[in-house]
Amino acid sequence: MVLKEALVREFDELLTHYPDKRSALIPALHRVQEENGGWISPELMEALAQYLDLSAVEVFGVVTFYPMFRIRPRGKHLVNVCHNISCDLRGAQDVLAKVCDLTGATPGGTSPDGRFTVATVECQGACTAAPMFELDGVFHENLDDQKIEQILGGVR
Amino acid sequence: MTKILLNGREVEADPTKPLIHACHTAGAEVPAYCYHPGLTPVGSCRICQVEVKQGNAPARIVVACRTLVVEGMIVETESPAAREVRRECLEFLLKNHPLDCPICDKAGECDLQDYAFAEGQGEGRSNEPRRRLDKRKSLGDVIVLDEERCVLCSRCVRFMEEVPKTPQLTVGGLGSRSVIETFMDRPLSGNYQGNLADVCPVGALTLKPFRFQARVWNLKKTASTCGECSRGCATTVEVLRAGEVKRVRPRYDADVNTWWMCDTGRFAFPALNVADRIPGGLVRRSDGWVRADAADTAAAAARLLGIERPAFVAVTPWVTQEEGAAILALAREWKLPAYMVSPAPNGLADDLLHTGDPAPNRFGLEQLGFARKSPAEIIAHLHQSSAAWLVGERMTALIGAAALEALPAHKRIALFDVLPIPFAALEVFASVPLYAERSGTWLNVDGIPRALLMARALPAGMPSLERMIGLVAAARAVAVAPGPVAPSSVAKR
Amino acid sequence: MSRPTYLLDRIGPDSHTLAAYQKRGGYAALRTALKGKTPAEVVDVVKASGLRGRGGAGFPTGMKWSFMPDPAKDKRPRYLAINADESEPGTCKDRVLMERDPHGVIEGVLLACYAIRATTAYIYVRGEYRLSYDRLQAALDEARAAGLLGRKIQGSDFSCDIWMHKGAGAYICGEETGLMESLEGKRGHPRPKPPFPAMFGLWGQPTTVNNVETVFNVPFILERGADWFRSMGTKASSGNLLVGVSGHVNKPGVYEVPFGVSCLELVDGYAGGVWKGRKLKAWFPGGSSTGMLPGSAIDVPMEHDAIKNAGSMLGTAALIALDERACTVRAMEVVARFYDHESCGQCSQCREGTQWLSQIFHRIESGRGRMEDIEMLATLSKSMAPGKTICALSDAAAIPTLAVVKHFKDELEQHVLEQRCPLADPHAAKRPAALAHSH
Repeated sequence: MVLKEALVREFDELLTHYPDKRSALIPALHRVQEENGGWISPELMEALAQYLDLSAVEVFGVVTFYPMFRIRPRGKHLVNVCHNISCDLRGAQDVLAKVCDLTGATPGGTSPDGRFTVATVECQGACTAAPMFELDGVFHENLDDQKIEQILGGVR
Repeated sequence: MTKILLNGREVEADPTKPLIHACHTAGAEVPAYCYHPGLTPVGSCRICQVEVKQGNAPARIVVACRTLVVEGMIVETESPAAREVRRECLEFLLKNHPLDCPICDKAGECDLQDYAFAEGQGEGRSNEPRRRLDKRKSLGDVIVLDEERCVLCSRCVRFMEEVPKTPQLTVGGLGSRSVIETFMDRPLSGNYQGNLADVCPVGALTLKPFRFQARVWNLKKTASTCGECSRGCATTVEVLRAGEVKRVRPRYDADVNTWWMCDTGRFAFPALNVADRIPGGLVRRSDGWVRADAADTAAAAARLLGIERPAFVAVTPWVTQEEGAAILALAREWKLPAYMVSPAPNGLADDLLHTGDPAPNRFGLEQLGFARKSPAEIIAHLHQSSAAWLVGERMTALIGAAALEALPAHKRIALFDVLPIPFAALEVFASVPLYAERSGTWLNVDGIPRALLMARALPAGMPSLERMIGLVAAARAVAVAPGPVAPSSVAKR
Repeated sequence: MSRPTYLLDRIGPDSHTLAAYQKRGGYAALRTALKGKTPAEVVDVVKASGLRGRGGAGFPTGMKWSFMPDPAKDKRPRYLAINADESEPGTCKDRVLMERDPHGVIEGVLLACYAIRATTAYIYVRGEYRLSYDRLQAALDEARAAGLLGRKIQGSDFSCDIWMHKGAGAYICGEETGLMESLEGKRGHPRPKPPFPAMFGLWGQPTTVNNVETVFNVPFILERGADWFRSMGTKASSGNLLVGVSGHVNKPGVYEVPFGVSCLELVDGYAGGVWKGRKLKAWFPGGSSTGMLPGSAIDVPMEHDAIKNAGSMLGTAALIALDERACTVRAMEVVARFYDHESCGQCSQCREGTQWLSQIFHRIESGRGRMEDIEMLATLSKSMAPGKTICALSDAAAIPTLAVVKHFKDELEQHVLEQRCPLADPHAAKRPAALAHSH
């Protein structure tokens, strides 16, 4: 079984929330991705499809629709830099430059040492604390160069 | 039925179907890309916008594929407002379209090309770079995808989900970056892939066997019936100029196959392109088989069954009702048993169209009075008889060349098939046309009449099978006693 | 600023816990309603309060609830879906409520379920809001343990389950039918309407979709009465609302104000004025989908009709301020890129149009604009909206485009004439080229 036993047990409970199996797909994909180092492999898509009585292509269509799902491996840490309007007005491009500078990654790419993937993302809902990025799922707001250095410097 | 006022004319509309169906039924040309009458309407391409007025409410623009007909609804498909919103929509659809019609197989039967031409809009105002995507992505053995031409109507996705019920395609990605995809580029499977090229309103999905084979306006299209199983799907046989069959496509038939056909039927057409046919037949003389015209062939065939006993007549289930009736009349006159060679199920049966029974006119011939015999039973009968008529295309294939070759030379066989094979017992070979070259009727598995129409002219000098039987009937009166015939060598073809 | 407040009053260090919530009188409205009010009476109070949806469209909440079919005639299961997919650029108000006062949200959800007789609710939280999700989940667990959720709540006949559901980063899932498709485990393609959710919603069953802040208001209304609620705000838009002020201001933040407060006061008062001592050049009243207005038009009441009369929309009441050095073309380049990125791709006009607008703004901003592009922006926008597509995302891209052409045409022309951005940051050249998307 490609899906871990613990995950399957978790999904068995998840299914009780909905009147049909398919509705558990997106929450389940999140969990699969979390447990797989931040991306969803073809094997995992097929396994989840089988678990939810879907065809693999239906899962694939959903995975590629949602920006939070990745179908390729990424670096150990993921920095999502918001570049939407409120952040752009307060220096999102400078944040992006600084993050790229510190990590060695290009926007959308992974640093040569494989530690960081840096991505630009649309509005994350931290507009009144702009500019911001999300590092491994945690929001970091009101960023400036010093703060960015401190945050990224603290990443192991 | 619901009455609506369509472009000033009162028409009856089926209230269970969307407004666009009523428009098309009444001959109003409303363009459609995402809408297909055989698939769930999604209302996404937005090209079928028309103007609708109900009661005292002001006129509004709706998509006809997602609008229900209501009694008294006033519909204008060609009002300035309707034309304008469709023109706008068309401009967006053309924005990223490569306009490579000169090299596109769909050109000439492309809904996007047709509408762009009708609206006089060959090009949009965009000077942005067009999407550059894969122009020849293989989706398996049958289909090639040109991602640039795709208008993302999702007909192909819905076809796979709703008709064969084997979801294999999806719109992948989001927004203007969307493309049609299979799971991780896995090739398509199943027996209904060819329909994808039919449902595609543009040249995005094309058939590999048809790629660069013909410009569609050079194809002569004739309504016919598929001969690959007892469903008898309505088809169109498409012939390039006078010669080759280039494509066979399903033709809408509400009672049998609706819009679809299987790949087994669709791609059987290369067998219709047979070279080196003999216009009349071959008759065995003392020095071997010699070519004979239709009348001489018929006379020889008549002689054979007129005198030899025991004898029988067997037909294949590709013989039409009309041909079958004529053959049966002769058999009865000669007091001979009449059999139908019954092919075994081919294992292709599914829940959709293919019956798994390769015999397109089994039902009809049995109803006429032909007794069903397996190929093995026919071979046994051949060994027990002095003479036989074996009539119909695919006879050799059904009985097997080896079985025919194993017959002793003193047997007297008349074989009516598309191509001759040499065997010692062959006395007369009569050339018969392929089903795409005949007119007549089959009765399908449910007894529904299926019409065959001659899709191309017969080779010069070749009579129809009905005519050949007529010639036999005429010749049987002329009693010419056959002399003893010595076994001989094979005629050179 | 001695205006009455209530929405954010409870927020404090541990305000997300059940203990803190109950100390402040939490779940009293629910208990009272379960004991003393029929669902129809709850609907009536909310109708009388004039509460309008806080998700952007401003539809009267009580009326929306009353669209649900009569349970005596329609026995199908019915659902409440809470739209917590807050993703309109500039908007981050629901996040404050979910992170800091999750029990307030839950009590509102329970009351809404009671009103529409739903026994199951889903809170669809955008995937990026991990803290909101975790806080709500923890609050649900607490509520369940305390008998405030599940079977026969507080000894009444009312049973209700609330499930958390996580989105995955698609803006379009904030559109209510896109949200339902997404909740059903599909691509978030908005559905053609009709049928409307009240008749054919989640899994084809009667469904109401409400915004977080909308239901958050309900316990207050039930406890304090419709008249109290109507005493705040304006005649057409009663109560307080959460306004986000972001962009070029000194104190960006989420503020609670009554409907009708002047936007000038929001910027100069609440948000501490335009930063760096500069003047206000332009502002979006309610997220990037609402048309930009010139700074000179800032003294307008933050209220549906007034902003509409000023030529824009209240939207999510997320005011984004641009100072005099900001470039409105650059702002629209970002906004148009966003809609191109987020169009679901179903409708031709939206899929192709959002890309087209984005390409044109990008060219103009990068010094490759043509004069005819400006007119094209306007005509394309008119071909994309209003009401030409399944949902309003196409409109959301067209509306701000038309606004910039209307109010800042000279700036567009200047870009084309000079073949450069006259306001570009001189440091811009050093920046990496951001990818439009990095899936």
